[in-house]
Amino acid sequence: MRLETRKLLDKAFSGFGLIAIVIMALALVFILAPIVSRGSKAFVFKGTIEHRRVMLELFDRGNVDKFHKERDEVGKAREPIYAMMAEFEAKTLELETSIETTLDEIKNEDRNLRKEVSRLKKVTPRDDVLIAELEARREQFKTREAELKAQRSELDDTRSAPYEELKDTVEELFGPIPGDKTPVLVRQRYGQTRWDRSLIKLHELLYTEEWDYSSPDGIGVKVETPRSELFAGTCLEPLFSYTEENIPQMMRPRTTFYWQFITDVSKGDNFFGGIWPAVLGTIYLTLGSMIFAIPMGVIAAIYLCEYAKEGRVISFLRVCISTLAGVPSIVFGLFGLAFFLNTIHVSSSKSVLAGSLTLSLLILPTIIRSAEEAILAVPRSYKEAAFGLGAGRWRTVLTVILPAALPGILTGVVISMGRAAGETAPIIFTAAVSVGLPLKIWETMTEPTPALPWNIYNLCTEHEAVDEIRHVQYGMVLTLVAIVLILNLFAIFMRARISKKLRG
Amino acid sequence: MSMNGNTNKSLVMSDAASVRLRLGNWIGQGVLFLITSLSTFAVFFIFYFIIKDAIPFFKTEGFKELFTGTHWYPSAHPAEFGALPLFAGTALVTVGAILVAVPLGISAAVCLSDLLPFKIRQVVKPMIEILAAIPSVAYGFFALVVFAPMLQEKGGTLLSTGAWLILGPIFALLVVVAGDLLLDRLRTRIKNTKLAAITVFSVLGSAAFFLIYRVAGQLAGIEISSGTNAFNVSIILGIMALPTVVSVSEDALQAAGRELREGSYALGATRAETILKTIIPASVSGILAAVILGVMRAVGETMVVWMASGNAARIPEPWYNVLQPVRTLTATIAGDMGEADHVTGSSRFHVLFALALCLLAFSFLMNLASETIVKRSRKKLGK
Amino acid sequence: MSEEITLRKFDQFAEHSSSGEPSEIHIEAKDFSLFYGDFEAVRKVSLKIPRRMVTAMIGPSGCGKSTLLRSINRMNDLIPSTHAKGEMVFDGHNIYDRNIDVVTLRSRVGMVFQKPNVFPKSIFDNVAYGPRLQGITNKQQLSEIVETSLRQAAIWNEVKDRLSSNALGMSGGQQQRLCIARALAIKPEILLMDEPTSALDPKATAKIEDLIGELRENYTIIIVTHNMQQAARVSDLTAFMYEGVLVEFGKTKQLFTNPKNIQTENYITGRFG
Ligand SMILES: Nc1ncnc2c1ncn2[C@@H]1O[C@H](COP(=O)(O)OP(=O)(O)O)[C@@H](O)[C@H]1O
Ligand SMILES: [Mg+2]
Repeated sequence: MRLETRKLLDKAFSGFGLIAIVIMALALVFILAPIVSRGSKAFVFKGTIEHRRVMLELFDRGNVDKFHKERDEVGKAREPIYAMMAEFEAKTLELETSIETTLDEIKNEDRNLRKEVSRLKKVTPRDDVLIAELEARREQFKTREAELKAQRSELDDTRSAPYEELKDTVEELFGPIPGDKTPVLVRQRYGQTRWDRSLIKLHELLYTEEWDYSSPDGIGVKVETPRSELFAGTCLEPLFSYTEENIPQMMRPRTTFYWQFITDVSKGDNFFGGIWPAVLGTIYLTLGSMIFAIPMGVIAAIYLCEYAKEGRVISFLRVCISTLAGVPSIVFGLFGLAFFLNTIHVSSSKSVLAGSLTLSLLILPTIIRSAEEAILAVPRSYKEAAFGLGAGRWRTVLTVILPAALPGILTGVVISMGRAAGETAPIIFTAAVSVGLPLKIWETMTEPTPALPWNIYNLCTEHEAVDEIRHVQYGMVLTLVAIVLILNLFAIFMRARISKKLRG
Repeated sequence: MSMNGNTNKSLVMSDAASVRLRLGNWIGQGVLFLITSLSTFAVFFIFYFIIKDAIPFFKTEGFKELFTGTHWYPSAHPAEFGALPLFAGTALVTVGAILVAVPLGISAAVCLSDLLPFKIRQVVKPMIEILAAIPSVAYGFFALVVFAPMLQEKGGTLLSTGAWLILGPIFALLVVVAGDLLLDRLRTRIKNTKLAAITVFSVLGSAAFFLIYRVAGQLAGIEISSGTNAFNVSIILGIMALPTVVSVSEDALQAAGRELREGSYALGATRAETILKTIIPASVSGILAAVILGVMRAVGETMVVWMASGNAARIPEPWYNVLQPVRTLTATIAGDMGEADHVTGSSRFHVLFALALCLLAFSFLMNLASETIVKRSRKKLGK
Repeated sequence: MSEEITLRKFDQFAEHSSSGEPSEIHIEAKDFSLFYGDFEAVRKVSLKIPRRMVTAMIGPSGCGKSTLLRSINRMNDLIPSTHAKGEMVFDGHNIYDRNIDVVTLRSRVGMVFQKPNVFPKSIFDNVAYGPRLQGITNKQQLSEIVETSLRQAAIWNEVKDRLSSNALGMSGGQQQRLCIARALAIKPEILLMDEPTSALDPKATAKIEDLIGELRENYTIIIVTHNMQQAARVSDLTAFMYEGVLVEFGKTKQLFTNPKNIQTENYITGRFG
């Protein structure tokens, strides 16, 4: 090959390497960007009056007088809607009753006629003409009745059913209609707490959507029609334009900082409030696993570095440690279930304890390895100096080696903490539940807990209204990722300091 | 003399003290050893308990169906335990992930060890660490909530853009090499070299362009009916396995040493030639170990596949169709245990342990393989 | 340090040895060998080191000087697969006997290493490390020991105002003197020094050499060096080793001016090594 080509290839080669790095960076940004940008909306968003109502009623937070004032204003803005709806309901009722009464009348008369006919039939001589006339009238009644019934079902179709749908949407948007009795489910007691969700609901209110499957390739097409068309000519027709125009007055969106998202308990099926039980559960599980894993891991590392004489036994130990590091996390979960729960019964049901034990086994190899590395990085001369001054092995380890290795060990510990906090599979069968209250510290011995990783899975796959609580899901993901990344950044920072120290 | 304060201390210990010291040391070391062996116990216990709960399944249902059957209906009456689709699903997403992670990972590792200046490396390394640190459930959430809808709505566009991005540079490189070789051959026969060069490169270039154009066009026409599929999961698993592949193979490349590099450079090799012909062959076992660890990461991952693979226990048709939903071993264990643990003792429960045993055995063997490879190469380098 | 002192010490030693007063032998190696695995790094060395004198060990690098030196306080125990043969007699006991208390041995035989190896702790804690190991916790007592040791090591004036600052912040020469102070604080009888100045600049080296001159009043010092001028300057006796074997041992002046052995002569005249 010519020299130029070789040089060109060399450049291209470097280019490939750089592309790989760039792709990696892009992947990181691509994954983190939505999590950060949408996750932050769990904390900072435009909150509606309903949010403030939730805060006040469920969390006892906020200014009551101010809220009442605002509530009254909002009430006024919403008033016309409810009035229109009441009028429409009344009108519908009126129509219904008029049909019903006519039907009743017809039925009555029909019954009378039938009686008359049967009486006439018994009378001799039979007045067949009259009977025929009456029968003809009854026929007329029948058609009339059918007509009315059709009218009634049409009324159902065109007025009542659409109205029920509308009413549901209105209730979802603004909360229960004043005067109705309080719904049993907490989440039905309030309207949309967030402005973005309000606008989506508003859209649902303004348009009905249908799927059209008529196209030949069988792929459905969404068709939206204004809901106002359904109510054309009725007193509800203006409702739509009114709502569209006045939605800000009816919801009062306001930029809201909801830092308590992390520390509030969740209410109404995760629709309202925060994620504290899950956060606390994650903290318990992480710290719990550390309580077991740190001493075991550090002691093992000390033994391997300072005491063990390399040989068969030790290399077997090392094989076991690396095997343990390679066990898939879900297998740890099964093992935790089979051993800690079903065999030695550390608790009668899933519990934080069982989960922590399982997690601690998972992170043990990481801690051993990083501690070993940190201990090996301590200059040999420190050890010699201590021995030379008459310190025993154990003394040397405690007074010289461990203090010098501490930052390194801590780095490994912090990284494994992040790992433990984010692991899901091991806790599915051993510790995690979907719904629960924050645990007291002593309850961790016996009780299961919600935990961020598990609840993220749960909320985005198994929750009944997955789409409506996206902000909670994103908020949870962001919280978890932030916890893990802060721990890791701390570790990175610490490592940089250590290497600086070693170099300088 | 006060200066030498210990002079009166006897060097010799009393027998009792000597015994005490020895015993203390012995017991202390014994305790330390026991604690260190905890990992060993853990490994044994894990194997024991998984096997213990897997045996009842094999006893009642035998081996054949699990490994050859294609119908996975553990809760039906009668239940069917054909796990072949699950093995296929795991294999498919793993291969996909490796196709993503290995080329990218090794290129990045080469870049980190030989190309980038120290300052930039200081930025890239933490980036890789962060990539490794993001919890798998967050990856799964991203795959399910962001990536899957994206694939479903703009799948074709995405695929064709990807094709351009990947094939473009590769073909450009190929064109340059092929063109140059061709010109080298022709040089002796043709006088007007400039014209020849222009013709050769433009012909080859446009041929390559049209090829990519066709491929990308084909891909652009693809409609993805479900965004939760093997493709989605492969990409995400690939990204997740990337840090492992990068850091392990970078270590391997570094271990090749400066002498080797200097030797190659001194003979007039370019950087690319040094790396491709000297460094990579020298560190091939380490890179192999990196690939194995990447495979283990992909096979063992649960959350991403559970959330975003579609969980259809069917072998895709054709088998390589990554755009269809699949189901993996890990996702099956995670998903079915929730129902099965009410019926502890049933085949439905034990089959999950049988699957876990397969996973465990696989990762054990893989781990052993990578250790052996690394050890052997160390020996070789040592000699 | 002056020529005079050196000469006086020589004569003293000569007197003692001639008048056969064995009490002045502080430590004695008898056919002592040390193995790294199968490799015999020190070969059947026999030598008697007198009390309160400076003994220098010289020889080409790799000849086993450090190994022999470290055998005296059993520092080689740290290295796996080492074993000793023969005897190393100190205080009437072979220190390689089974029932020897190694901790006591090391607190009676202090050691200073080639590179200053201060702990990443404060200056005070560095010096107090040994006394604390011996169970001294009284603050007052510790301060006294620290001050005495630092004064003995001729570094007190430089560090007295910053005893609590990290020892790693000091210069190399200061660190080495701190290491000496740290070794003195355990009140040893013997001080082993393994090329204590090889990592230092000439000025710091001169200070350490002066210090050795002062310390010989109270301690038995054994110093490994491959700087022959240094050996000539600071020591009373010199041992020349070659490939693990003790080739010649005698008064420094005599060994440098009139070596008995041809290998010694070649070495000190610079013909090899
Ligand atoms: N830890 C060790 N393991 C094996 N051999 C060693 C070790 N330390 C030193 N040696 C060998 O012992 C011999 C003497 O070493 P050493 O006492 O350090 O020499 P010196 O200090 O005179 O330069 C050398 O050949 C060296 O290679
Ligand atoms: Mg030496």
